[in-house]
Amino acid sequence: MKKILSLLVAALMMFGAVSALAEVVLEYPTFQVGVNTAAPVIAQLVEEFNALNAGQIKIQVEEIPGDANYIEKIKVLLASNDLPPVIYGAGYNLLDLALANDSLVEITEYVDADPDWKAMYNDKALEVNSRDGRLYGSSAEGNTIGYFYNRELFEKAGIAGPAKTWDEFFQQLETLKAAGITPLSMDTADSAWVTSLWMGAMIATAGEEGQAFMGQMMPDDYNTPEVIGALANIQKMFMEYTTVDAVGGKYENAANAFLSGQTAMIANGPWMIGDFSDATKAPEGFAEKVGVAIYPEGFAYDEPIQGYLVTRQADPEVEKAAVEMVKFFTSAYAQTVALENQGMLPASTQVEITQAAKDRYPLLAEFVQALEGADIRTATTQATMYPNLLDIMSAELPNLASGAMTPEQFAQALTDGAAKNK
Amino acid sequence: MTRRNAGWITLFLLPTVALFLAIYAVPLGITLYTSLFDYRLFPSRMDFVGIGNYVQLFTRDTQFHRALLNNLVWILLHTTVHIAIGAILALILYKKPRGWKAVRVIYMVPSIISNAAVAMIFANIYNPAYGVLNSFLRGVGLGELQRNWLYDPATSFISVTMIWTLFSGYNTTLILSQALSLDDSVIEAAKVDGASRLQQDFLIVLPLVKPMIATTMIMAATYMLQMFDLIYLTTRGGPGVSTTNLPLMLYKTAMAENNYGYANTIGVVIIILGVVFMTLINRALRSRED
Repeated sequence: MKKILSLLVAALMMFGAVSALAEVVLEYPTFQVGVNTAAPVIAQLVEEFNALNAGQIKIQVEEIPGDANYIEKIKVLLASNDLPPVIYGAGYNLLDLALANDSLVEITEYVDADPDWKAMYNDKALEVNSRDGRLYGSSAEGNTIGYFYNRELFEKAGIAGPAKTWDEFFQQLETLKAAGITPLSMDTADSAWVTSLWMGAMIATAGEEGQAFMGQMMPDDYNTPEVIGALANIQKMFMEYTTVDAVGGKYENAANAFLSGQTAMIANGPWMIGDFSDATKAPEGFAEKVGVAIYPEGFAYDEPIQGYLVTRQADPEVEKAAVEMVKFFTSAYAQTVALENQGMLPASTQVEITQAAKDRYPLLAEFVQALEGADIRTATTQATMYPNLLDIMSAELPNLASGAMTPEQFAQALTDGAAKNK
Repeated sequence: MTRRNAGWITLFLLPTVALFLAIYAVPLGITLYTSLFDYRLFPSRMDFVGIGNYVQLFTRDTQFHRALLNNLVWILLHTTVHIAIGAILALILYKKPRGWKAVRVIYMVPSIISNAAVAMIFANIYNPAYGVLNSFLRGVGLGELQRNWLYDPATSFISVTMIWTLFSGYNTTLILSQALSLDDSVIEAAKVDGASRLQQDFLIVLPLVKPMIATTMIMAATYMLQMFDLIYLTTRGGPGVSTTNLPLMLYKTAMAENNYGYANTIGVVIIILGVVFMTLINRALRSRED
């Protein structure tokens, strides 16, 4: 009997060892952890993917708080040819960087072989994730962005609603300031996400030239009247209409200022909507005070960002497992999870804005309606600029904000930075 | 040395030599070699440019000029003011006043905290919204002096400098340990000769601890040549390049600009500067010893 038991135990152990050996572990570094708005969604997707693929594929998350830290880590890993099997583009144009190093797996065949997956791509999603007709990425986020405003503070200052023109917008800033309210949340650190949204909106609405500039991938010349004009406004916004810690501050500082009712407006995407009703981030009832708008002159950011990318690995099984992960993370189900749990608008037009999402986030429905008035739509500046310019933005914005640098000098610094990529 | 001993010595030295070659010499050689190329990783490119990177660096790169100047000023301040603070405190503690041991330990605390924590502490002290410094200024009626200390181009350099200049605990400990090991009879003889306390400190003790001061100066210079984390975690070298030093510029050139050849050129300059400073400090203090 003892022998039989021993043999059984040994067999079970062997079986366990074999299945452990067969399981592909995908190391997945991500910044979508901790206080990041997408953290609960990613955690849920990882858990569900691991359960669905138990014994075969396991995602092992490595937490890297902060987008900028993540991007830097990916660049270091790219330089040492040690990329994790899946990386997330996150709107920082990692695709071209990784492709230049021949580090990406083309996923055209995988997508073509799966009609459901293929149906998730619209023309824009195909464009941002492809190079020379080859598909490398799969998007999950719509990256549709306007701005949020605090209705209560607007009412206090006697402002009826969002501005239709930039002149009206700057008048509103003045009105808010006169009422003792800090009008804007802004930032300079970690690529200055919030600030660059305001900047890009002003460039895009500065006539056809501005719109054409925003449509360019990796612009080389920032010495244009549209960019310089937008920078002059940004300088004014820093000097007169934002918080004292905006210069040097990160997105988190800007978000906290808005969530605590300190500022009246913040530029950001609908993924922030979940934060308004999160008791750990905002006071109770804050969500009811928030309104959403597209930018003046009928502008909204609307272009799917480069999504998940599969990188070359020594083991083809790991690559296949990585493709499975990307397929799951960008599926209609995953985009619906993000929509209903975070307020994230989907990348694919195949994913409907569900009633559950509208009920949970009325602001999302409001934004979708407001988007109908957006006649001008482009990608963000961060998604199209050379990656090294993100660092220059963060380094030079404090100089622009203090007046130590003119808008023309700032534009020249960006142009010089772009030239370093030649 | 017998033939047999020579064999053993060679055998025991081999691992060290092998490690030195693998970890230092070979990478150093690669750094020197690649500094002569326009060397980028994505897309991969390696074109020979000779001394082109060095010419660009010294004649046209204003960012490098500023980073080099910042580095030299910080080295100067660290090897003079920083060491002087440590030495003066060591001379005070050498007299063993009441509570000298407690002071020695307390002053050492900032030196044993990790640089990441120190950077976070100072980022909060300097924070323009809730920082201790601005709160203090408001409290004493000097509200008009409030600033965004780390990000105002007028104050960023001095604010970053203050993070490391005042805390000289290591140097105090090292200089004090040598002072305490001095033969008491020397001081007694000075006292008999009528030397004042100040004369004892500056004419007897200080010259005798000079070798340790030389060591701390070399350590201070190399520390400043390697300084990265405190700057990276506070200002990341900004605003502009006002607080950028050579290691930070090297990092940004490689990581943000993907220009590894140029980054290695900066690396070679850092190595040369290190050798020059060590030689200069050694010579200066050796000649005085002679």
